[in-house]
Amino acid sequence: MKYSYFPGCNLKTNAKEYEHTAVEVSKILDAELVEMPVFNCCGTVHSMVSDNTMRRVAPVRILSRSEEHQKELEDTKNTVVTLCSMCSSTLKVVNEEVKEDEEMLQKINWQLERDNLKYSGHSEVKHYLEILRDEVGFEEIIKKVKKQLKGMKIASYYGCMLLHPDKAKIDDSETPTVMESLTLALGGEVVDWPYFKTCCGSYHVVDKEDIVNNQVLKITEGAKKRGANAIITACPLCAYNLDSQQVFLQKKGVIKETIPVFYFTQLMAIALGIKLKNFEDHHVDPKPLLKSLGLI
Amino acid sequence: MSFEYIKIGKEEKEFISKIEDISGQNLYACYQCGKCTAGCSFSNQMDLTVNQVIHRLQLGQKEKVLSAKSPWVCASCLTCTVRCPRDIDVAAIMESVREYILRYEPERIERMKVTEEKAKKLPNIALVGSFRKNTEL
Amino acid sequence: MAKAISMREKKEELDTVTIYIMGQGYKVPSSLTIMKAMEYAGFKLKRGVGCRAGFCGACATVYRKLGDYKIYANLACQTKVEDGMYLTQLPFVPANKAEYNLDEIKPSISTMLRFYPEIARCLSCNACSRVCPQDIQVMDYVQYSLQGQIDKAAELAFDCIQCGLCAIRCPAEIPQYHVATLARRLHGRYHMIAPDTLEQRVKEIEEGKYEKGFEELMSLSEEELKKRYVARDFIDQKKA
Repeated sequence: MKYSYFPGCNLKTNAKEYEHTAVEVSKILDAELVEMPVFNCCGTVHSMVSDNTMRRVAPVRILSRSEEHQKELEDTKNTVVTLCSMCSSTLKVVNEEVKEDEEMLQKINWQLERDNLKYSGHSEVKHYLEILRDEVGFEEIIKKVKKQLKGMKIASYYGCMLLHPDKAKIDDSETPTVMESLTLALGGEVVDWPYFKTCCGSYHVVDKEDIVNNQVLKITEGAKKRGANAIITACPLCAYNLDSQQVFLQKKGVIKETIPVFYFTQLMAIALGIKLKNFEDHHVDPKPLLKSLGLI
Repeated sequence: MSFEYIKIGKEEKEFISKIEDISGQNLYACYQCGKCTAGCSFSNQMDLTVNQVIHRLQLGQKEKVLSAKSPWVCASCLTCTVRCPRDIDVAAIMESVREYILRYEPERIERMKVTEEKAKKLPNIALVGSFRKNTEL
Repeated sequence: MAKAISMREKKEELDTVTIYIMGQGYKVPSSLTIMKAMEYAGFKLKRGVGCRAGFCGACATVYRKLGDYKIYANLACQTKVEDGMYLTQLPFVPANKAEYNLDEIKPSISTMLRFYPEIARCLSCNACSRVCPQDIQVMDYVQYSLQGQIDKAAELAFDCIQCGLCAIRCPAEIPQYHVATLARRLHGRYHMIAPDTLEQRVKEIEEGKYEKGFEELMSLSEEELKKRYVARDFIDQKKA
């Protein structure tokens, strides 16, 4: 089974390992991620005002470009799959908006017409976690596990965009379970903690770092208090914030010990027997933990 | 007890109408339950809490709202929207306050400095999100 | 022998069209390019003119056509006039250019963002590609730069002649052609490998292998040079 995969701007730069492990895992699970031949930035976070049609052109352009790719891959369910939670939320919201508002879709199609593109309104956007849960199924994943993640106490960090807004959520927004189910399927231990969807500060890392530092402190201390030794996430910006700001806070003496942050596909890769290529995008070195548990 | 006399005249009504226009939300649906503020991840860093912002908008208090730090502390995490019992898109209202300032009163904004050093190490997704929310497009 | 026709008679036979240059209408021969038509109408071009061959990008022209709301843009030296054309020229486009030392930077996404962070504002509206006189997919190379795929960006932007029309149309205020220049320079400097024959030849020159030959040529008179030129060795393409 092949899916039209939209990388977004980030998966080829500081989240390379996320993409690499996800693509390798997808091949083993027969839910292969095939990259769209040409794509553009989705313009996250989606525009919430009612009078900015221009900001909705980029997501619709992606959806219409994916439609042609889906025909090639013979995907009858017309899915666009993303790995980045922010892309997932933005594309889903705009997709629902243009499906409900015919006039807006027509306006946007007029714009795209001059580039020989048109969006029919028939695609569905899915985050890869949804594909793993609904199309592949956790039983299949359990069958393919070669190395159980024994000793890993994993705090699943959803962040905001996987669960918000209601149009775009992939699970129950107050008590989500998909990442915990995945953890159990891989043989890891689930940590129950209250900060699983406390916003990391997102784009404030550009000019208001203090806000992000506040959040990162809260989140990571909360995970450690509950006994976690690793955090998993599905969003490149969350991963960057949680990872790099911990190192910053450690240098300032605000925190003593750091907790490594993984993309969920990295742990899937370890469990399914794929070798991880590099750890250079990590700020907090995860190798000591993985070596001590005999996982690499 | 302290009192403050406020005026609700033509200017205030125009402001309210503009905010409702841009956000597409009915400000008067809010009955100040406070769930938005309770769920907001950044409440402790805001000068006016979320429900206080909505209340002042309902009364058209333009100066108080536009000079607050709160709209710029908001990170569009949408927790408020998801929890509002009246189905108001609270984040959209916050965004329309930002848009109002960006479009009509940009002198109020503290310019951020994106130095070369910063831009070098930040992930591009952070810059995309930041420019979308903090600049006029 | 053909009868010589005086220029006056010839003019009346010409097929003319009306074009509007900065609001003023002129009747010009329909077979001329915009640039030639402007000169026919009496304009002396000091700016907005260069190679006259579609390569330098100086004569960027923006125009509309009668009854058509769309904006068109093209090079004046390469485009034929049409009846009802309503045009102006853009001899210069202001666009901030970053300063950098090519030896001190690396070909990576952080370099692109460091000098042109505004590429993160790209709306994917494609106004830039539509106005490009070279039919380059401008939006796509800006997106490749944003994704850190510098080699693809450089290849896509190969035909750019730096006319600046894309930068004028961009709602996100990105100077696309400067971004392309940075990508192309990084690609050429760090990704493209020079052939080893080039290095060898440069070494030979530096060692003075061709000094005597050059000195001899420089000492020849014009007549002798011409004789040598005509008698030179050259590769017969058919046999090679």
